Amino acid sequence: MSKRCRSDFVEDLPVQKRLRSAGLDNTDRLSSLSDELLLHILSFLPIPSLIICQSLSRRLHTLAGDSEIWKRLYYSRWVLPRARRLGTTKSTRFLRSKIEYSPNVSTWLDHGHLTEDGVVTNWKRQYRLRQNWAKGACRVTEVELVQSPAVPLKLVNLCAGVVFTVEHNNLLKAWVAKDPKCCLASIAIADQAQSVVATALASNYCPQGRRIEVFVSFQDGSLNIYDYDIGSSRLGLRSSYTEVADGHITAIASFPSYLLMASRHKRLSLYEIPTAVEIKSEHPSFKLPRLVTSLRADSIVTPMALSIRAAGSGIISSIVYSFFHIGCGWSLGIQELSITPTGEPVKSRLVTTVDSQYGTGRSSLHPNALRSHDSPRNRRLRPPSHPAIMHHDPPTSISYSHPYLLTSHADNTLTMYLVVSNSNELYIKSSKRLFGHTSSVSAVQVSDRGKAVSVSSQGDEIRIWELETVASTLNTKKSLEAENSIQVSPENKQSIKTRSLDSAAHTTLHDSSEPGEPLDGTFVKPNTQDYIGFDDELVLLLRERGIDGRKLECYDFT
Amino acid sequence: MSSGTPSSTITLTSSDGVDVTVERQVAERSVLIKNMLEDLGDSGEAIPVPNVNEAVLKKVIEWCTHHKLDPPSAGDDDDSRRKTTDIDEWDQKFMQVDQEMLFEIILAANYLDIKALLDVGCKTVANMIKGKSPEEIRKTFNIQNDFTPEEEDQIRRENEWAEDR
Repeated sequence: MSKRCRSDFVEDLPVQKRLRSAGLDNTDRLSSLSDELLLHILSFLPIPSLIICQSLSRRLHTLAGDSEIWKRLYYSRWVLPRARRLGTTKSTRFLRSKIEYSPNVSTWLDHGHLTEDGVVTNWKRQYRLRQNWAKGACRVTEVELVQSPAVPLKLVNLCAGVVFTVEHNNLLKAWVAKDPKCCLASIAIADQAQSVVATALASNYCPQGRRIEVFVSFQDGSLNIYDYDIGSSRLGLRSSYTEVADGHITAIASFPSYLLMASRHKRLSLYEIPTAVEIKSEHPSFKLPRLVTSLRADSIVTPMALSIRAAGSGIISSIVYSFFHIGCGWSLGIQELSITPTGEPVKSRLVTTVDSQYGTGRSSLHPNALRSHDSPRNRRLRPPSHPAIMHHDPPTSISYSHPYLLTSHADNTLTMYLVVSNSNELYIKSSKRLFGHTSSVSAVQVSDRGKAVSVSSQGDEIRIWELETVASTLNTKKSLEAENSIQVSPENKQSIKTRSLDSAAHTTLHDSSEPGEPLDGTFVKPNTQDYIGFDDELVLLLRERGIDGRKLECYDFT
Repeated sequence: MSSGTPSSTITLTSSDGVDVTVERQVAERSVLIKNMLEDLGDSGEAIPVPNVNEAVLKKVIEWCTHHKLDPPSAGDDDDSRRKTTDIDEWDQKFMQVDQEMLFEIILAANYLDIKALLDVGCKTVANMIKGKSPEEIRKTFNIQNDFTPEEEDQIRRENEWAEDR
């Protein structure tokens, strides 16, 4: 290094002198070009050369990192191939304008989230992010959370880059997801003396007012709503309700102004939540949440997944639950509730994955096969063929983000179902088992853009799945060969690996000394209930470590 | 455009005062000159090209003459153009000039607004950068390393993600 610097120095001085005196060669002609021309030259370079150019000089560092150049590269690497693929798989020919590069991001497929007003995208960063996801490259940070072992629930939630946790001392905390050691705000959700136990946590981002709504439910069926202001990093109680549910609330899902919850007594309720403004206007008597609809189920078995999504002008709330089917083992039922924009329930319909598991799929469905109010028990007789997908054990977790429904299983696999839901019908289009994990998969989470993250309970294996690619190779020979997922490999893993092996051994010991609750005779429910949350930049993982310790791991892909 | 058939040749005056006569069709490869001719009408007077000297002007005209029958470049930002740094054989030979001339051609093409020539020039430079190490590039273009060792280190870390491609 020092040698090179010296020789540069020796060489460069005379060059400068000669340049001034004779104006001869050895001028830096490249750098004397205008920014515009330099950018033009750089736009012809492949990525490795651009990266090298960044290390040449300060000016080239800026120019070769130019967002417009990277935007173009991003387009041809990530957007164009997909547009082409969709163009060929669908028989409809894509408009040429959609395939050709357009600086207008809103014409790109699925990049609407990057067109928010006033937000400037750094395209080099975006490219790197995408590349890191594709390679599973990330950086991991960990933080220990001490939680009450009596509450083995998913009291962690990731929303708009903020992590919300409820700890055993009944503190609701907001953390910076990128740096889990940095606590943004905290609020006591109950008096220390009170023995209330929080049971579920949900949050959602409200673009208007840049705040996050946080819902915390309790064992006694009460519910608190908090507002987190992103600008000022402040958490505040909006309202508190008692006895919204008939007891222990086991799961909640939220959507701006709606809340879906399931109680331990198998009641599913959908509420319309009063907005902050409404609450203020009716001070001091808080307007109560309005019960839109409520269902009593007789067969809901955990795990289950609640979700609410916008569909057209209304919203659709759904619950996915697991049940045992005599023919094909553990199956899923999807119950869907449609609600009009004015908050009136329109219809409720149900579908199960049984047909799909038999591999008969859609084609065998006759017109009245969509028994919208049918119970999964009254199923018509199946051909006595062996089911293509059969699970002897209940799924370890379920995640549903329309149209993708994923379940994780103790047999090292995931199963993906493609759900079709339109105004006329609800059915499962296809299903597929996903292989890749080498040990029991303990949790899976899928996002609305078709990315899924799964984790195995042992061995710290985290995998990323691009479901769209998986779905596009369904029912083809290629699907058997295709590498469907990428294993996350944190660059700073080494130091953590040794520690986690320690604690993994610890967990195993704990497992064997205290058998889990037996379910359906053979299956021992895994003791760990992992939580996965992820957004465009990071994966957040909550896992059990030891007996009452929990660890929050953040995998940063930027 | 003025009345009557436009004369088939026009005269350009280089920055060092030399008149060069060219076919009008050749000169019109330059959008600047084309627009000038349209705006001013065909007065028959020499058109000054103040930023380009005789040697470079002649070189540019040589290129324009060879490419006078090329179709006008389609859509000014099509993607395929950027994807490749392939240069056709004649252009490659044409661009085998010293660096001074190369950059003069790029500047002239930019000034005269001859997009295809500008692309050829820029691609030639891009090819000189491609596949080289930072040190080789610095040597080729005499680029001064104005980073501190700390900054160099930071940049290396910043771009680590792209290394094993």
